[in-house]
Amino acid sequence: MNRNLVTLLLLTLALLSISACGDDNDAAESDAGVRADAGAPDGGTPVCSTNPTTHLELINACTNAVRVEKTPVLPLLNADGTRPPVP
Amino acid sequence: MSKRVTSRAAAAVAAILGFQAWGATAQAQDVPCSSLPNPVYVQTGDTQEPLMKNLGRRFRDSATNPMTIIYLTAGSCTNIEALFNRTKLTQNPKYVPSTAEDPAWTPQMAARTCTIDPAGVDLDIGVSAVFLEICTETAVPSHLRASIGPVQPYVFAVPLLSSQTAITAEEAYFVFGFPNGGMVEPWTDESLHHIRTNTKSTLLALAANIDVEASKWKGVRWDKSSEVVNALKNSPNAERTIGILGAEILDGNRDSLKALAFRAYGQNYAYYPDSTPTSFDKQNTRDGHYTPWSPTVYMTPIEGGVPTSTRAAYLIDAILGKELTPAPGFEPLESVVKVGLVPDCAMKVARDREGGDLRKYDPTEPCHCFFEAQTSGAAPASCTACTDDGPCGAGKCRHGFCEAR
Repeated sequence: MNRNLVTLLLLTLALLSISACGDDNDAAESDAGVRADAGAPDGGTPVCSTNPTTHLELINACTNAVRVEKTPVLPLLNADGTRPPVP
Repeated sequence: MSKRVTSRAAAAVAAILGFQAWGATAQAQDVPCSSLPNPVYVQTGDTQEPLMKNLGRRFRDSATNPMTIIYLTAGSCTNIEALFNRTKLTQNPKYVPSTAEDPAWTPQMAARTCTIDPAGVDLDIGVSAVFLEICTETAVPSHLRASIGPVQPYVFAVPLLSSQTAITAEEAYFVFGFPNGGMVEPWTDESLHHIRTNTKSTLLALAANIDVEASKWKGVRWDKSSEVVNALKNSPNAERTIGILGAEILDGNRDSLKALAFRAYGQNYAYYPDSTPTSFDKQNTRDGHYTPWSPTVYMTPIEGGVPTSTRAAYLIDAILGKELTPAPGFEPLESVVKVGLVPDCAMKVARDREGGDLRKYDPTEPCHCFFEAQTSGAAPASCTACTDDGPCGAGKCRHGFCEAR
């Protein structure tokens, strides 16, 4: 009987630990879902429009064309991100 | 053979060769423009010269409606002013020979020059490669008709050896608007920025797209596109060199130059005028991903609402892809596409002012299938070839393919 009780306790402990790991995985997946969420304001992949109508939608529409990603370095840009007037 | 005979023979050969060279030059220079058959006098930007040469050859050889396109290249603003003010053509213009005159001539070769009447000749057509309003606040005069022609993309170009692949509108704003390239690497040496003078469409169009007035651009100003091409090709520092060109000029020099992908204000990525850096399909120009482009505008004098030159009206209709009577015996839009322009009928976006916002566009007489067949070598599977409206259902047969209308 003691053996059975120990076995039961061990099984219970095992089930509890598996469940905990499962919770962790859910959190990771949840994090992964947020990161993969296209168009997320936290800087995920920009959304492209499949049926563009406005100027911004047209220039950012979904396409099979080659696109180049670039993060320019602009030493003279204003601190607030605006452009100074051309001299 | 004695030395005396040898030297005399050499002198004779040299004289003959010199005479022939003089004769060839004299022949080209001495031809009066008025002697050329069925002339149409055109003043156009040099970005349109490839079209003038390609179409010029085909119309010289047309059996049904032969004509000679006699053209002078000048800045778009200069051309607008000339037509608005009825300025006569007084500089010797160019023309291309017919196959009968020179079977070996190709549009990659130089055009010939003819001698203009010293009293000047009225222009039949003036071509601007930018919206007219960018050059003048004056409305189109009542003696002119202005027609929207094929779209002209413009590019920021670099030597092939440059490692750069893209430029953003923000970068270009600083590179061309500020001293020393606004410290934007690698384009920090103004002496290696090759731009155009203020009347040229290439500069005006790109200026509008990056929000830097044309007159404020920093760089070496060239009068001709060919001068920019040479400066780029011969630059001592490919990495720091950048210039501006019409896309069709760049297309003809892809063995030594390349276009940078361009990212417009508000855009997420940079795109080429074509879907890839090596294709010629102008996909991104057509659908709005590539924004630096302008429509060409064809101006012709009218009287009572009718063009004063029927030949000029015919030529304009040919370039616009309209139905022609008599048929010229060839497809003029092939020349338009071949030189890297996009006919209005193949555009999917439009704009109403230079550098202005884009909007969706559905041409009244579309030619999408024709354009895609020309640029890719084969029509898309969704396109149906036709010779009449029969197989087109509710659509219409245009330029050999069924279109929606």
